[in-house]
Amino acid sequence: VKRGRGIWRSVWEIFPLSSSNFAFSSLSPSDSDSAPVPQRRACHAAGRSLSGELLLSGGGAPQQARGGGPVSPCVSVCVRDSVCFRVFDHVNAIPFRSSKELLLQPVIISRNDKEKVLIEGSINSVRVSIAVKQADEIEKILCHKFMRFMMMRAENFFILRRKPVEGYDISFLITNFHTEQMYKHKLVDFVIHFMEEIDKEISEMKLSVNARARIVAEEFLKNF
Amino acid sequence: MAKNTLSSRFRKLDIDEFDENKFVDDHDEAVDNQGPDGTEIDNLIRIYPLRDTMSAFHLALRNPPLNTKNPAIKERALAIVLRVLTSFKSSDIEPAVKSLDRSGVDLLMKYIYRGFEKPSDNSSAILLQWHEKAFAVGGLGSIVRVLTARKTV
Repeated sequence: VKRGRGIWRSVWEIFPLSSSNFAFSSLSPSDSDSAPVPQRRACHAAGRSLSGELLLSGGGAPQQARGGGPVSPCVSVCVRDSVCFRVFDHVNAIPFRSSKELLLQPVIISRNDKEKVLIEGSINSVRVSIAVKQADEIEKILCHKFMRFMMMRAENFFILRRKPVEGYDISFLITNFHTEQMYKHKLVDFVIHFMEEIDKEISEMKLSVNARARIVAEEFLKNF
Repeated sequence: MAKNTLSSRFRKLDIDEFDENKFVDDHDEAVDNQGPDGTEIDNLIRIYPLRDTMSAFHLALRNPPLNTKNPAIKERALAIVLRVLTSFKSSDIEPAVKSLDRSGVDLLMKYIYRGFEKPSDNSSAILLQWHEKAFAVGGLGSIVRVLTARKTV
């Protein structure tokens, strides 16, 4: 018995409208009801971890202080949608791009021209690339070093890619294997959390760099 | 067995092309929508104080260039729709979205995501508001349909 079928009815009863050839075959539309109701449930099809938690973060969305409105619900919804995949092929569809019918449309969500998130999905994986805001030289260097630090340890990170996609600073590649081993909703939460925290981290690092520089300069100039 | 056979032309053949199960996009060139009419919409937006953004909005979403492969037409349509979207006030967004039907909301979502690809000035801010309202009406289904649609606007 599939719990939480209710959530999917709103997606599925109107899914026939789209002209895609995707094989989402194991989910079937249930009772017809026109209004989509946001709910929080975990829905597990037997043997295949297909759908994740549909959490709509509209209500308690953390408002970003830097004007531009709530990006995170936007991104979280998108990532959650694309994280519903299953075992199709052992080859990851995105980097190889062998067949057209396995790829979703790439989607970009931007807050301004410096910060954006690119989400490319496929039937068995999704690649999320983030371009982080870098206002000045110091932030650029800090960001670059921070990202490099993480990307060099990408093996232990699992979902991180060793090289970012062109034009972005960091890329995550989440595959069906990862979703089998880790909770989907947690993965999505992690990506969102990462996006929100990265700005804070970089500002903090910048402050501490400036503070240290000031102390060092003072000490040095005391000699004169 | 080491000697080469007579002709190696077969090596240049792409056998995947002949696979019966190969996926081909169905091309529907018959219905060739040219996209919304720019001049009409300009008039609707500019005539102040009769700024009839609502009907400009509906007009802009009327003829989506879904089936053409010509990128120029798509660019034009996108530019027009974005102009309309950015000329809306925040309070007007919700009634505008409510006035659309299901497929209209899907189309709107497609345009919103296309609009995100080229952020300029404050377009992203207002697009995010549009996205929020459209999402409230369309739900996750509309986003999924943007991701999986083979015919992009």
